[in-house]
Amino acid sequence: MAYNIIDELINNLTKLPGIGRKTAQRLSFFILNMSDDEAKKLAAAIINLKEKARFCSVCFNIADKDPCDICSDPSRNKGKICVVEEPSNILAIERTKTFKGLYHVLLGALSPSDGITPERLKIQELLQRIKSGGIEEVILATNPNTKGEITARYIKDILKEYDIKITRIAYGLPIGSDIEFADEVTLTKSLEGRRDM
Amino acid sequence: MIKRTEAIVLKNKPFADADLIVTYLTRKYGLINVHAKSPKKIKSRFGSSLEPLTYSNISFFGKEDASLPRLIQSDIINPFQPLREDFSSLTKIYEMLKLCLTFLPEREPAEEVFILLLNTLLKIGANSDSKIFRLYYKIRFLDIAGLLPSLDICGRCGTPPDTNRRHYLFYIADGSIICNNCAKNERNPFILSKGSLNFFGSILRWNHSSVDRIKAPEKLISELLELINSHINYIIGSKFVPKL
Ligand SMILES: [Zn+2]
Ligand SMILES: [Zn+2]
Repeated sequence: MAYNIIDELINNLTKLPGIGRKTAQRLSFFILNMSDDEAKKLAAAIINLKEKARFCSVCFNIADKDPCDICSDPSRNKGKICVVEEPSNILAIERTKTFKGLYHVLLGALSPSDGITPERLKIQELLQRIKSGGIEEVILATNPNTKGEITARYIKDILKEYDIKITRIAYGLPIGSDIEFADEVTLTKSLEGRRDM
Repeated sequence: MIKRTEAIVLKNKPFADADLIVTYLTRKYGLINVHAKSPKKIKSRFGSSLEPLTYSNISFFGKEDASLPRLIQSDIINPFQPLREDFSSLTKIYEMLKLCLTFLPEREPAEEVFILLLNTLLKIGANSDSKIFRLYYKIRFLDIAGLLPSLDICGRCGTPPDTNRRHYLFYIADGSIICNNCAKNERNPFILSKGSLNFFGSILRWNHSSVDRIKAPEKLISELLELINSHINYIIGSKFVPKL
């Protein structure tokens, strides 16, 4: 039996990031042992995602409706926009349950080495949201690396002329770490971002 | 076996879940790609040391023929953080890195280029205007790589430029100045002033330590930089990639 139905599933699973052949094999046999109902739910969830997922036309989050649940939630603070690189960043921030404003997904970050220029990102769309009024604060939550940093600076510069508060998420030392092991850039940024106690 | 060398990060790209492939220009081994495990995780021991331009001491492990050695350690010597804080500054510096990424073969020692890049980053970091250093770097790089445009004789008949003229015709596709006899009515030459032609000659005679002492008119620097950029774009576009 050179190629069978279990191989087909294994081969498909290895296309996922972080899944090697061994893990794919384990997952495939786990799925094989699932109840019919559970396995069908899993398959349906994948199909459903592909059929219904779309970008929210306001914030560019991935959602099944437009505008997305966050943009259309009346309890959220419409005066604050948190700018992130990818839709997956929204999930991470939402897990903290500390941010009650809206989001704006850039769908990437500026990168000269990859030819990602400002026009390739959803920066004009962010500007339009700000021009239409009602925004008090823009929180720049792009990644704390070179691409995220130059993206945050670029947006800060173009928003200068608007009367809104612009903030950048703090750079800190990871909780549970030790100052002795922090590199100088991380440590410099945490000192710069220190706050009153 | 474990190898150690000084290195400058040229770029990094995501690999698998939280890993990176980091492209370095190293002092001992030339251009190398290494696999860094989990640098994106918050507790990674690599910290910020894999960001572009970071100059560090690295150790990596890999068999002689392994396609992708594993990065074991990287200790920052100079992060060059201010040079990568805004998009336009990084875009200009990336033009310099791109020369290494395009023209240097992998794993062939290129210490002269390493020293050139390191010195240029140090100079740019210490001066507010980077133009002259970027120009010097590009011309020196092209010289080392054997890709210099030819400004000393006509690329077709070999005649030296007529010193009585105030302007010369440079043709990007020839990579050379062309005398008026040979050029006839050909269109779209790059008009090069006599000042720039002489300035180019002096740049080739400078060394790293004298580059910031030379005061050249902004106009000449801009003119030459434009010519060198067009020349570079042409050779990159024509995919002519010779071995160093
Ligand atoms: Zn939305
Ligand atoms: Zn001629």
